[in-house]
Amino acid sequence: MCPIAMAPAAGTGPEAGFRGVIRVTFGTAAVPAAEGDAGMAGHDARFDAADREALASLIAVLEQARVGVRLVLAGPPADVAAAAAAAAACGLLEEEVTLLANESGRRLVFCAHCRTANTTVQGVGSEVDCEGCATTLAFSGHFSRRIGGYLGFAAHAEEAA
Amino acid sequence: MTATALQAKVHPAVEGGLLLEVADLSVQTASVTSITFTDPAGTALPGYVPGSHLVVQYGDGANAYSLTGSGRHPSEYTISVLRVDDGAGGSLAMHRLAVGDLVRVSHPRSAFAPVATARHHLLIAAGIGITPMLSHARAAAERDSEATLVYVYRPGQGAHVQEARELLGPALAECTDRGSFQEELTRRLTDQKLGTHLYVCGPAAFMDTVLARARELGWPQGRLHSEPFGAAELDQGEPFTVNLARSGVTLEVPAGVSLLEALENAGKGVPNMCRKGVCGECYLPVLRGAPLHRDLYLSEQEKSANTTMMCCVSRSLDQELELDL
Ligand code: FES
Ligand SMILES: [Zn+2]
Repeated sequence: MCPIAMAPAAGTGPEAGFRGVIRVTFGTAAVPAAEGDAGMAGHDARFDAADREALASLIAVLEQARVGVRLVLAGPPADVAAAAAAAAACGLLEEEVTLLANESGRRLVFCAHCRTANTTVQGVGSEVDCEGCATTLAFSGHFSRRIGGYLGFAAHAEEAA
Repeated sequence: MTATALQAKVHPAVEGGLLLEVADLSVQTASVTSITFTDPAGTALPGYVPGSHLVVQYGDGANAYSLTGSGRHPSEYTISVLRVDDGAGGSLAMHRLAVGDLVRVSHPRSAFAPVATARHHLLIAAGIGITPMLSHARAAAERDSEATLVYVYRPGQGAHVQEARELLGPALAECTDRGSFQEELTRRLTDQKLGTHLYVCGPAAFMDTVLARARELGWPQGRLHSEPFGAAELDQGEPFTVNLARSGVTLEVPAGVSLLEALENAGKGVPNMCRKGVCGECYLPVLRGAPLHRDLYLSEQEKSANTTMMCCVSRSLDQELELDL
């Protein structure tokens, strides 16, 4: 279910029934020109970070939008991931959301073993030591939109086995 | 008992199923009749997922029909059958049933379930395609989830229209001509909240139109669900022969008997579910010969490769087919 939306500040959202492209950027990321949305009406919004307020106003915009809408999220990986999770909770499908995470920046890595959320600035494909259970986690392809982060698995499982 | 009453030989598609009694017949329109089955001993029936279908034996054949109930704690199963005068005979046999007749049916099978996470269900039905939609609408009402139904039918030919009105109230839109439907469709497709899923059932051309329009208006594939049953029964087809290469068996497939049924009768059952060319369960590898593809599952490309066929509906262009079986 979509979390309760806060009313958007007057004049900030697109008109009700919007079915174009909503481009949301976090931090200093450039407004992306996403492929595939040529000719679609656009609505741009920028936030410093995907904090509660930013997510609430994103949700308010999505509540007004109608099926057909596309969402593009750009910025640091953790912010993009948090916004993607909020969008998924509002009923957006993966095919409707484009994620443009910066190469660098904070990422969330969920430990598959103890479920601790670890924050790291390491890039995808590297390793991080879990703060919960000290397992060395490798994170690469397993990005979950539902939880808004990467799933990290024991990096040296094969060797140990 | 009538001519279509219980057959001694159990059709493989309903094996392990239920033996039910016709409890009620109700004429919906000049060509559609609803048939209600109950357990002769009065026992409750297995529940089912909305949009499920039931395979019903008639004579030597068996046909699949959508169940119209919500599926929750059913005490009866109801199907509605459109009479097709030049079909393979299943619908005519169903129309000849009388109250008290015993029939063999499968357990309900689910192939068109509602999406559990949907925030709204947009149901679109044409003609006899109303049947699975009624099931969805009933289930939505019971579960307090939101549903809208757009129902297209010819004037005076709307099966279940009264029930739909009672069930949906203002959430039902009725269209009896093409122009008003196109308008209604566009209006609906451009005004659905996020999280809406669309379900369409009706003749193939109708579903193509609806799905194409939805895609045009930005609906991604993941929101589109269709139940392509084809309004009409397929014709009986020509007889042909199959060679089962691996078992060295040769089988005749007479007109009016599907390849799947012929295989089943010979003790060579093939996994299957919908038995109407939709689900893709019953595929068979073809080694030689050109199948007459009649399914809705394979792509045009796959069909022209002639290396796979759906044996529940497809037949043969050549006198003989060789299968890797
Ligand atoms: S059984 Fe479903 S396609 Fe043949
Ligand atoms: Zn851990």
